[in-house]
Amino acid sequence: MVGFHKPATLAEALALLADEDARPLSGGQTLVPMLNQGVVQPSLIVSLGRLRELRGITRLAGGAVRIGAMATHAEIATSTLFEAGQTLMPRTAVQIADPAVRAAGTIGGSCAFGDPTADWPVTLCACGALIELASAAGRREVPATDFFQHYLQTELQTGELVTAVTIPPLAGRGVYRKFARVYGDNATVSVAVILDVDVAVEAGRCRFVRLAVGSVGPRPIRLTAVEDSLVGRMLDAAAAEAAGAALAAEADPLDDLRGSAAYKRRILPRLVQRTLLEGINP
Amino acid sequence: MIDITLKVNGSEQACRVDGMTTLLTVLREQLLLTGSKRGCDYGICGACSVLADGRLARSCLLLAADCEDRAITTIEGVAEPDRLTDLQQALVDAGAVQCGFCTPGIVLALEALLDVDPKPDETAVRTALGGNLCRCSGYGAIVDAALKVAHG
Repeated sequence: MVGFHKPATLAEALALLADEDARPLSGGQTLVPMLNQGVVQPSLIVSLGRLRELRGITRLAGGAVRIGAMATHAEIATSTLFEAGQTLMPRTAVQIADPAVRAAGTIGGSCAFGDPTADWPVTLCACGALIELASAAGRREVPATDFFQHYLQTELQTGELVTAVTIPPLAGRGVYRKFARVYGDNATVSVAVILDVDVAVEAGRCRFVRLAVGSVGPRPIRLTAVEDSLVGRMLDAAAAEAAGAALAAEADPLDDLRGSAAYKRRILPRLVQRTLLEGINP
Repeated sequence: MIDITLKVNGSEQACRVDGMTTLLTVLREQLLLTGSKRGCDYGICGACSVLADGRLARSCLLLAADCEDRAITTIEGVAEPDRLTDLQQALVDAGAVQCGFCTPGIVLALEALLDVDPKPDETAVRTALGGNLCRCSGYGAIVDAALKVAHG
């Protein structure tokens, strides 16, 4: 027998979630399949459906965008609040799963699950997002690059809930490329890029870049040394593929049903190259 | 057990559920609305699709106890009794039904699309069907029917 509560306030929800056998329910796109398959057996399910403070997407003074943990992928996909490099967010959201999952699944739920083959971890690492966590003991913010730690392991501690994700202002434009076996599947390999290139004085010169790859190891891979090496130089096909090769050298993918580790390592540099070049020539 | 009231196809239904009982289980086993099919039971096949507040949803991924504030429409409720929607008639006319197991979910996915985009192009139709598996692989006729009902 599993209990069910749908509290009206965040404080009440956090008090219930202090019990290590309680699980929060957001869009249900991860928790419910796990319940159906008997993978998790909580004593209590705490629905977050009545918590207004976890909803909505807002643009803050200074240009950051704060996304409530209960914002659905579909809401993010259609939001017009993301500007310049932040457009990586809607461009990622629209590639998640299928329409029914996008309408129900939430960014907070996806983050909390911590699946490195999912789309949000790699994109949030590229954005330098901050993930806001709350528990009965208080609140804290963790950079996405520290939050996602290992297969299905995050920085979340017992009793903590993801409450929001904040995207800083970012120059340029965002591009997300996901290589998947079939529409709706998780990524075999995914690449998230934010790129600002000179279009006038020195056309093609890279002014700012963020580059992260996903689904090729226990956590997203972002190498600031690779990003730094691209800034200030002409971003051509050779430089873009070299960046991909540097990331592939750090990749530690699994042999699984989405492909062998060797296969994923092999397609990674070309996928990085295509994503970077799409950032230059949309 | 928890006593809940669900609003299904416009009528209120009192049900008794466990915290982890899915909406699909309640629809099929308590309300005997067996048009929603249990294919995979983990959100991949789309055969259990319903509309929740007008939006496409997988009933196997909704917990019944979490649905008290949502209006649920199942395949049994999309048309008046003994009538078909224009889309359903178009699917019949196009021969877009083979074994039929996926058809209720396909109808709801396409009704949800046509509700927000009455004149979809083929890409939009195929995207809308992206979460509905037809293992007879009868997609061609299904897409044709959707385009015909939208564009005449």
